[in-house]
Amino acid sequence: MIWTIARKEIASNLLSYKFFIVILLTTLLLFTSFFVLYKDYKGRQADYELVRAKPGEPIAVVPPNPLSIFAKGLDEAMTRSFEISPIGIDVRTGQKSGNAVFAFFPAPDFVYVVKIVLSLVALLFGFDQVSRERENGVLRLMLSNAVSRATVLAGKWLGNFLSLAVPFVLVTLIGFALMNLDPGISFGPSGTGRFLLLIAIALVYIGLFLSLGILVSALTRRSASTLVILLLVWSLLVFVLPNLGTLVARQIIDVPSVKALSEKRTQIWTREILLQIVEQRAVNFRGDGAIRKRHLDAINTELNALEADYRTKFDRLVRLSKTINRLSPAAGFVYAATELAGTGIGEESRLKSEVIRHKDAVLLEMDRGVKEHPAFVYRYRTVGRVLAEGGLFDLAWLTIALILFFALGFVAFVRYDVR
Amino acid sequence: MLGTIIRKEIHNSVVSFRFVVVFSLLLVLVPATVFILTNDYVKKVDEFSSRRQGIEDYLKTYAHFNRLGGVVEPSPPPLPATALVRGISSDINLEDFEDDPLPVMFPLLDLVFVVAILLSLAALIFSYDAVSGEKEDGTLKLMLANGLPRHRILLGKIFGGTLTLFLPFLVSMILGLIVILVNPRINWTGANWGALGLVLLGVAVYVFFFETLGVLISSRHHSSSASIMTSLCVWVLLVLVVPNLSPYLASLLSPAPSRIKVSREISRLTGVERDNLGRQLQTEKMRELVKRFPVLAAPISDAEAKTRAEKDPAFREALEARTREVQAVWQEANRIQGEKAQVLSTELERKEAAQTRLARRVSMISPLADFTYWATDLTSTGLRNIAHFSDLSDRWGRAYTEYSRSKIAALQKKDPAVDWWNTAVDVSDMPRFEYKEESLAARFRSALGPLAVLLVLSICIFGAAYLSFIRADPR
Repeated sequence: MIWTIARKEIASNLLSYKFFIVILLTTLLLFTSFFVLYKDYKGRQADYELVRAKPGEPIAVVPPNPLSIFAKGLDEAMTRSFEISPIGIDVRTGQKSGNAVFAFFPAPDFVYVVKIVLSLVALLFGFDQVSRERENGVLRLMLSNAVSRATVLAGKWLGNFLSLAVPFVLVTLIGFALMNLDPGISFGPSGTGRFLLLIAIALVYIGLFLSLGILVSALTRRSASTLVILLLVWSLLVFVLPNLGTLVARQIIDVPSVKALSEKRTQIWTREILLQIVEQRAVNFRGDGAIRKRHLDAINTELNALEADYRTKFDRLVRLSKTINRLSPAAGFVYAATELAGTGIGEESRLKSEVIRHKDAVLLEMDRGVKEHPAFVYRYRTVGRVLAEGGLFDLAWLTIALILFFALGFVAFVRYDVR
Repeated sequence: MLGTIIRKEIHNSVVSFRFVVVFSLLLVLVPATVFILTNDYVKKVDEFSSRRQGIEDYLKTYAHFNRLGGVVEPSPPPLPATALVRGISSDINLEDFEDDPLPVMFPLLDLVFVVAILLSLAALIFSYDAVSGEKEDGTLKLMLANGLPRHRILLGKIFGGTLTLFLPFLVSMILGLIVILVNPRINWTGANWGALGLVLLGVAVYVFFFETLGVLISSRHHSSSASIMTSLCVWVLLVLVVPNLSPYLASLLSPAPSRIKVSREISRLTGVERDNLGRQLQTEKMRELVKRFPVLAAPISDAEAKTRAEKDPAFREALEARTREVQAVWQEANRIQGEKAQVLSTELERKEAAQTRLARRVSMISPLADFTYWATDLTSTGLRNIAHFSDLSDRWGRAYTEYSRSKIAALQKKDPAVDWWNTAVDVSDMPRFEYKEESLAARFRSALGPLAVLLVLSICIFGAAYLSFIRADPR
């Protein structure tokens, strides 16, 4: 019976103006997003070929991640080149574009399209399921048959979910297949697996908003009110909560600004160099190797302490803002999707600790007079680890929210007066 | 008559459910955002003054010309307007190892965001059924049966709708401003208030645009459920897609060479190629010199040359001529290669500027981008301020170079053998970088472009709405 209702929903969707315009918009957006981010990736790949470390060079740089086409996240920050020298890690920023308009608006990647547009589309599929059908009188007719309300609701959910999910998955897979035609891009089995998981999370996210739509529809009498409430709830969940969360977290945890840190770093560095020269001058530059070493050590100790303190505070800020932001399913989706793609905050912070470890090893070698250094190799966390370190939590949270909204929708629908 | 229709529209909306929801949301959200941003601003001011103090403390003991420039690098202070508008966030700093990636994941909320996303959405929610809804209810027929010209109805609907949204926003804004006024740490000048007034004018135009757009779409549809679908799709495209795509499109249409590629090429030109050219020029010059001073023909070690120069004045003259000429040759090599490098970097700058301009123009199709540019340029938090800041930094840089030159000359005069490069100096009289906001008039002039585009877009949409409405079948 569920399937019959679902089929009826699919058939009526296929004939509707809503379906036509929404699918057109989604398809257009997804393909445009794939195209521009693919081009962006190719540009960054070409840059990487220029900055990649030659054998023996103390440079840590990772190639751009092909999955950043779908979830750009922090890939630009991760693919900077980190040059290691006795005074620390020097960041080459040449990979950044000089076009300042990039700084104004977020990248329109797959994650962005799903987070904003697909969630809205799912709400539009869900908002008129109960209240509109009551207005039309269809609901009365349907329930006068020997069919339980649970079956009706499940059928409606399934039918609408399929009407949305099937075109979405098809378009996404076609985009992915087209990208695989480029021999310069290799996703590999792991990349493909991660991409499929990404689609799965996107489906859970879409399902969640569909359930929310049906829930609000079953709580309201008029479809116009349903829509108003849903659009405002949507804008709160997708835009306001995640963006406000980080600001609130910053009020609670004091983290020095990046600028303050870099000023402090310059001050420490130039102070020690001056002291070193004064000392060397006093002994007429005799045995100045030991003096230089002592001051370089002082610089490194102080800088390491400063940076470790910053990182500890920043990690706390990230944790708190993640906790606050997770109130919004959109934030949960972004965290899970970017971490799975290997472009999330967790992966970036792990890459940075690997770079620091590499720096310490290289500095030890430099002390011993070794000129050729081993290449920096970064291995992304496995899917298992990503899931264990928060990914599964986000996924579970999205699934629970989906089930909860559906269950509440069911309760509201059971109590719904269909007249 | 127009007044009556506007009053009717406002009255209809005010008693509606959607008005209550939107108004309550604004009443909570705007003051809350302003409150959080105000605290954030105060924190930033504290940090900025402690950073300045840190630099001053450093300068008292350790200032030396070798690395002074790096320590006193200009940095913009937090601006009072950031209590409302954050603009391009300077927190995303990719130049240092310890960056701050949070704003990349979720752009921080501010007033521009609330207006650009929420108010535009609310304007469409208010107007999507302005015509189609009345058609469904049958009230449109009744209204038109009176001696009412259609353009009056249209104007009444649009102005009524704009006012019903703008006035609640203004009320919530006043609550937000109370937060700013009662905070003793925030001192706004007349220019700040002037800028805010102009931003609010932009809000009114922005809301008017979306109200008109809603009415246009509404009069093209027979049912309000179809008109809300179209409205939302158009909204998604205009607000959430066009601005975000614009820099990517611009980079495809007006490509700029990658900065890395150019910097590699420049270091090749001024490194290996400069050395080769210098050596070649030096060999040629040496051949000429040997003809003039045959004593230079035989190879001789530096120590021997020094001893011989002391005894033989003719040899000393030849040696001095050689040093002079070699220096001139390398200067020439540096000049030639420097010019080539200059051409490359000028070309890069030109192309990047062209791409930024194109991206900005493409994005200006979107009213969101127009409003964002208008608000950020007026509050000195946008692209314009980046250029202004870099002008100020350049000016200060020149003053600093001048100062260091005269200071070094004074040091050398006192003690010609001094290592002025690595000796602590008293820099209490050094010119300090002071950021001064551009005058409101200049900011206004630069921001006028985006507002003009927004006005033109609104007028076009209004024209289209008028045409659609007079052709609309009210049955």
